[in-house]
Amino acid sequence: MCDIIWCKKCNTVNYLDPYCFWNWEGKVNCAGCGTVYYIHMIQGFMYKGPEERPGEKPDISPLYADKPLEGYKCYLPGTPGRTRPYNCLPRSKYLGKAEMVKFSIRGKPVRGWCPQPPSSGLAGQFPYRWDIKKLSPDVWQEYQEKIKKGEVKDW
Amino acid sequence: MEEKIRIEDLPGPKSKEELDEMKIPYEEFCKKIFDPGNEFSKPQALKGIRWMSCTMYIFTPHSVANLAELGAEVVKIEMPRMGDPMRHTSPFNEVYLYPLHDTRPTVGTGLGYTNANPNKYFITMDYHRPEMKEVFYRLVKISDGLTECYRPGTFDRWKQSYRYLQEINPRFIYVWGGGFGYGPKIFGGSYDILGQAHAGLASITGMPEFMGGYPVKHTNWAMDWYSGTLITFAILAALYWRRKTGLGTMIEFSQVQAATRILGYGVPLYGRFGIVRQRWGNWDTQLCVHGIILCGKSDYPDADNPQDREETRYVMVSAFQDADFKALCEVIGNKELYKKYKTHKDRVEAEAQVEIYAALERWAADKSRSEVVRILQDAGILAEPVKNMREVYESEHLRQRGTIRWLDDPTFGDVLVQGGYSTGLMSKTPRRVNWLWRPVGADNIKIYHEMLGYPLSTIKEWYEKAWI
Amino acid sequence: MEKGEVEITSRIDSLKLIDPMIRPWPVTPPPSREEVKKIYAKRNAEEFGQWCEDNLSFETSFDKPEALQGVTVLVIGLWRMGSKFASSLLAEAGAEVIYIEPPTGDPMRYLTPFGREEYMLEDKKTGEKCGLDFIHEMRNKYSITLNIESEEGREIYKKLVSQADIVIEEYPPGYMDSLGIGYRQLSKLYPRLIYCWIGERGQWGPDKDKVSKWGQWMLEPFGQCYNGFVNNTGFPADQLPRGRGGDPTRSGVWFADYVAGEQAAVNILAALYWREEVSGEGQFIEVTAAEALLDILDMDLTWYGFNQSIKARTGSWDPNLNQYAWNPCKDGYMMIGGQSDRLWYRIGMCIEKDYPQFGRLICEDPKLKAVAARNALEALIKTYTLTSRWLRDLNRLEAEQKLLEYDIAAGPLLFIDEVCEFPHFKYRPWVYTTESEEYGTILYSVPPTNFQVRTPHRVKWLGRRLGRDNYEVYQKIGLGQTEVDELKGKGVI
Repeated sequence: MCDIIWCKKCNTVNYLDPYCFWNWEGKVNCAGCGTVYYIHMIQGFMYKGPEERPGEKPDISPLYADKPLEGYKCYLPGTPGRTRPYNCLPRSKYLGKAEMVKFSIRGKPVRGWCPQPPSSGLAGQFPYRWDIKKLSPDVWQEYQEKIKKGEVKDW
Repeated sequence: MEEKIRIEDLPGPKSKEELDEMKIPYEEFCKKIFDPGNEFSKPQALKGIRWMSCTMYIFTPHSVANLAELGAEVVKIEMPRMGDPMRHTSPFNEVYLYPLHDTRPTVGTGLGYTNANPNKYFITMDYHRPEMKEVFYRLVKISDGLTECYRPGTFDRWKQSYRYLQEINPRFIYVWGGGFGYGPKIFGGSYDILGQAHAGLASITGMPEFMGGYPVKHTNWAMDWYSGTLITFAILAALYWRRKTGLGTMIEFSQVQAATRILGYGVPLYGRFGIVRQRWGNWDTQLCVHGIILCGKSDYPDADNPQDREETRYVMVSAFQDADFKALCEVIGNKELYKKYKTHKDRVEAEAQVEIYAALERWAADKSRSEVVRILQDAGILAEPVKNMREVYESEHLRQRGTIRWLDDPTFGDVLVQGGYSTGLMSKTPRRVNWLWRPVGADNIKIYHEMLGYPLSTIKEWYEKAWI
Repeated sequence: MEKGEVEITSRIDSLKLIDPMIRPWPVTPPPSREEVKKIYAKRNAEEFGQWCEDNLSFETSFDKPEALQGVTVLVIGLWRMGSKFASSLLAEAGAEVIYIEPPTGDPMRYLTPFGREEYMLEDKKTGEKCGLDFIHEMRNKYSITLNIESEEGREIYKKLVSQADIVIEEYPPGYMDSLGIGYRQLSKLYPRLIYCWIGERGQWGPDKDKVSKWGQWMLEPFGQCYNGFVNNTGFPADQLPRGRGGDPTRSGVWFADYVAGEQAAVNILAALYWREEVSGEGQFIEVTAAEALLDILDMDLTWYGFNQSIKARTGSWDPNLNQYAWNPCKDGYMMIGGQSDRLWYRIGMCIEKDYPQFGRLICEDPKLKAVAARNALEALIKTYTLTSRWLRDLNRLEAEQKLLEYDIAAGPLLFIDEVCEFPHFKYRPWVYTTESEEYGTILYSVPPTNFQVRTPHRVKWLGRRLGRDNYEVYQKIGLGQTEVDELKGKGVI
């Protein structure tokens, strides 16, 4: 297998992302069981490997791995000891699902959470106003608190 | 009898105010005349133009968005309940504004939809319904033009293409924007990334082969937006011509071709000499020193966000004139470099560039980005940091010029706007952003009832049948 | 040119072999109209396709009128591409564009890739060499010389402005004003004047355009670096090592300048429309490369305002869509696109035929079922890894054919020579040749706005000898040939 290492010991598929591994030589660890494999990839073809190298340290980890035989349980990027981090995007933020935001970074309310109560008229016509006091009074309250605490800024 | 000379007829300033205006420093004059923040007191350039936006994604909507920012009245037509497919796009699935439509309270519009549809009125219409044809025609009769992006032949089958519409409105300007236009690949889909790949732009962007680089994509959808503005230009030229002749026109615009247009010398170089231009990374093929270098340390080593912590370490340096290059070599303590590459012709050759930039990066290897910038700027050389989005947000320059600002959107609240105002300052008819976008069908009543005159009961019927 | 024995001892010797007289463009002819008709017929668009070709074809352009006929534009600026591109657009649309250069010429005339003079074109009459970048963007424009440093030059400039509708200026901030010929002064004399300044970062503000201590101007890519474009483009250091590919990357071309130029052209035409329809007044327009490009950086800044996310670069993948990237293949790179459900499954079916494991690993995975979930980072990694596994066995042509069978938008990454020879791009000309009086046959990229029913934009000539139109233009403002010669002697022209 090339571009993926299907570790037969633990049945984990380790994804060797293109661009990084397209022309690469060295040792990669399996995200599932930690076995170190030596590979030499040329133009995406596995010229040599994967050969087991017990006892040696890996040069790099895969970015992502999952287990097809266990319902695709996976190891996300940045799991210590298993996958390497994707540093450009902090894991705490990029969870792959929508973030519910109620206030913009300067502290004013923004309609970035769901579900929203209905506010349209006939045929979907929306007013030119977000009547937050009526539709989301709790958020309005929170906003008033923020103003009192001085958390609402111009920039 | 002597004629009294009127002061109005003499050249020069006529009042103290005007005199002051002529004398204040230029910067102050510019700030005063452009007056950022006060756009809404000034007229709109394209007031009176009405346009239909039968568009999707970014490319064609943006061409019409430019018109909307300039003051045209634009009606955006989307699929009932679903809306434009671009609404379902958001970076890493993370950011949405809600609601998309009241019948789907947990579905929002993704931020991928930003900037492409400001100031427009949003209606829905299902073109497949023959009953909607008359409605469509009614809208065509009172509009100046439309932009569409459907596969060629689709609008024609629905009897909505230019050859039909010009019969009912000879002043109509019809724009088709798509991938390829007529020819063997006519039905090819149109994507920004396809434009970059197919047109040769990707083959000249990215780190060079010998450095281990690959062709790289311009961030997000640069080609879509760029080609959209070219269409706006064509529309405005057609509007100008229509004033003389009263005739509309059809414009067929290929997005992939727009990317080939800006290849610079690449095309004539191949045409005359057979040389195929390749990637040259962060350096310039025609000027040296004029490139981006890597510094040893980032500016915010303690920041939480890896973008601040790791990535803020690039500087753009430009010293291609002899005097500047000489000063640069002195600053980095490498006078031999200047002796070796005294003339520009010497240092712009490929091998020379490799050596020179390596020397620069060696010098910068123990310094942080702001240190490098400060040292070079103090020496009188042009050097600027490569900024990330947070630094762009905090830029005093952009805030003062009104290029980035917070908008109190009527539907969604407090949003940060980067588009519209940044397209250029106009002293008498500035552009403006009224709202970022609105939910699907948000102006159905306003357009169908108030503009086109259909009774409310009919609209209700259409809505329930999902024709709109 | 004789086909004799050619001795090649250096690169320069080989260049003559590709001369358009020996190897004209196109190398192979485009497909015929009949072949293309069959393609239209596959989707019942035969009649429509015919109509399009009859009314929009490139070949009919010169038979049709020009949209901006009668509009006069003056361009005065050096070095940068912004004013050149803006004026090219106006000139292609039919405006009369007069390009004012100092007597020594615009410095961009002398720029050439890697300083190689053999890549410059030689004027047949005077032997002067001119760089290709300048020639390519010098479309339909007249070239005159004028020295605005001198008092007399400035008076002549004012006369030229009196006959113009639009002035596009690209000098460092405040320079023209300090000479007494900036907007403030000219607008008092000519209230109908539309004056546009194009620059990198601005005429005013804390970070306005700078000039180095020795007078060097600020050129692109300073604009790209200022607004986050460079920061957001390139491979992340997680995919390629920093310093060897994993760095913020600038565009291969002076992209921000082009974007500023086109927005300037749009703003100029809007101002022209307003002047003609409504007010009779001109105005001052300022367009900067950094800001114009910021406008089209999608949602990057709005995203920051939402939850402080700093956009990161993602190489040739897109963080918003899956599949929407190019990945390496056997002989280059292949772009595959398809965001919707329908396309996702079709890509799956196509790849599965050759590589069944793709089908299994992708279709079985519960995390990849929902459209939105496929945009998560891990989903992108998995999808593209498996796609490259499939692509490594195929060259671009094979991959494209397989994907097109399933109606998937896919395209190979083409190099410039391949672009010039691509069948569609020859049939509906993307590039075309023109005969230049100075330089001979030149291949250029056709304006995308060249395909219109009534007023197609077009390229009439390319390149212009420095000062070629001095006599004609100056005669039309009252300076006869004797006076022009005198002024030339004094260095004013």
